[in-house]
Amino acid sequence: MAERAVNAPDHTALILAIARNGDRAAFAALFQHFAPRLKSYLIRAGAPAASAEELAQEALLSVWRKASYFDPAKAGAAAWIFSIARNLRIDALRRQGRAARIEPDPSDEPDAVPGADSLLGLAERERHVRSALGALSAEQRRVIELAFFEDKPHSAIAQELGIPLGTVKSRLRLAMGRLRTLLDDAS
Amino acid sequence: MSITHHPSDETLLRYAAGTLAAGPALVVAAHLAASPASRARLRDFEALAGAMLEAVPPTALADDALARTLARLDAPAPAVRPAMAPPPDLPPGTLWPAPLGAYPVGRWRFLAPGVRWSRIEVPDPQSRVILMRVAGGMKLPAHGHSGIEYTCVLAGAFSDDSGRYGPGDLAEEDDDTDHQPLVEPGAECVCLIAMQGRTRPHGWLGRLVQPLLGF
Repeated sequence: MAERAVNAPDHTALILAIARNGDRAAFAALFQHFAPRLKSYLIRAGAPAASAEELAQEALLSVWRKASYFDPAKAGAAAWIFSIARNLRIDALRRQGRAARIEPDPSDEPDAVPGADSLLGLAERERHVRSALGALSAEQRRVIELAFFEDKPHSAIAQELGIPLGTVKSRLRLAMGRLRTLLDDAS
Repeated sequence: MSITHHPSDETLLRYAAGTLAAGPALVVAAHLAASPASRARLRDFEALAGAMLEAVPPTALADDALARTLARLDAPAPAVRPAMAPPPDLPPGTLWPAPLGAYPVGRWRFLAPGVRWSRIEVPDPQSRVILMRVAGGMKLPAHGHSGIEYTCVLAGAFSDDSGRYGPGDLAEEDDDTDHQPLVEPGAECVCLIAMQGRTRPHGWLGRLVQPLLGF
């Protein structure tokens, strides 16, 4: 995880290169890194493989189109790309009458433009969030992923992990409590 | 505006992950528009989602996926801005956060003396979202819950055992809540309320409209 954090600014630079120069090589590099991960995430979130493949490509296409709205003082590259894919997934569900698109486009962000020192602030914050995630046990991360990102009911998590329902609930409670403590420590 | 009641971390994480249902997500979005503290927390959870995305093992795409996407880069982006509905007739100064503009709001209907409601259409059959306006000073019957209910105050204020809720505050009530809300005297209180799931709602005011919504 720590090594990934060192690489993260490269992705930021790639998005900025797309915004400034329409850099196709930068786009290809982002695509090769993120599209296969987005496909995994979308499959885990319940999309059939074909839709996940389609949505992952749509998400990268949106990254190309929206690159000029990307503000590295507001979001890290992975967080921003995740949000784009998340919104596309919600849009797709909405077309099936199952969910509503809530998030505004990055272009409508109401927040004031932060000062130059926010960039440092955000990088520090992201590092902190990553280290908080890294401080959870693998079991705790998995249960958070299943409950929140894959939207599985507790009973399904119990079945998948082969543990009692009560253990799912207590593990989730502990994981969220730990996360809360870790995040609050730095704010 | 001083916001003291925020969504739980669980709810915000669900929102960040995109797995909060449409109705509750709309109420949380209304709160987020008013609360810098919750937006900061949301950014943490989006960073967390980004970190989880980095950690997920990749799944290969089709061999020609990159080439096909590159070929689409120069096509014009489709215009997908949703039409914004005008806000309904509301007391002056009522919060009307941008996310609400994307959904049609029904006309005000009489429910009881001093209480009116209207329905907001969200494309999720499991979500019921309503606006309520309640005259100042009204006390509502004590009740418990059998489902989760999310309320964001848009104007005025109410109080219950858990505190005072003013504009921008978010109340998240579940099975354990049992309260008797009192709308502050003077100003009318306007709330955005989402009730979720098939369980019968017993939330504050939700209980009153339940027969009208056909649960």
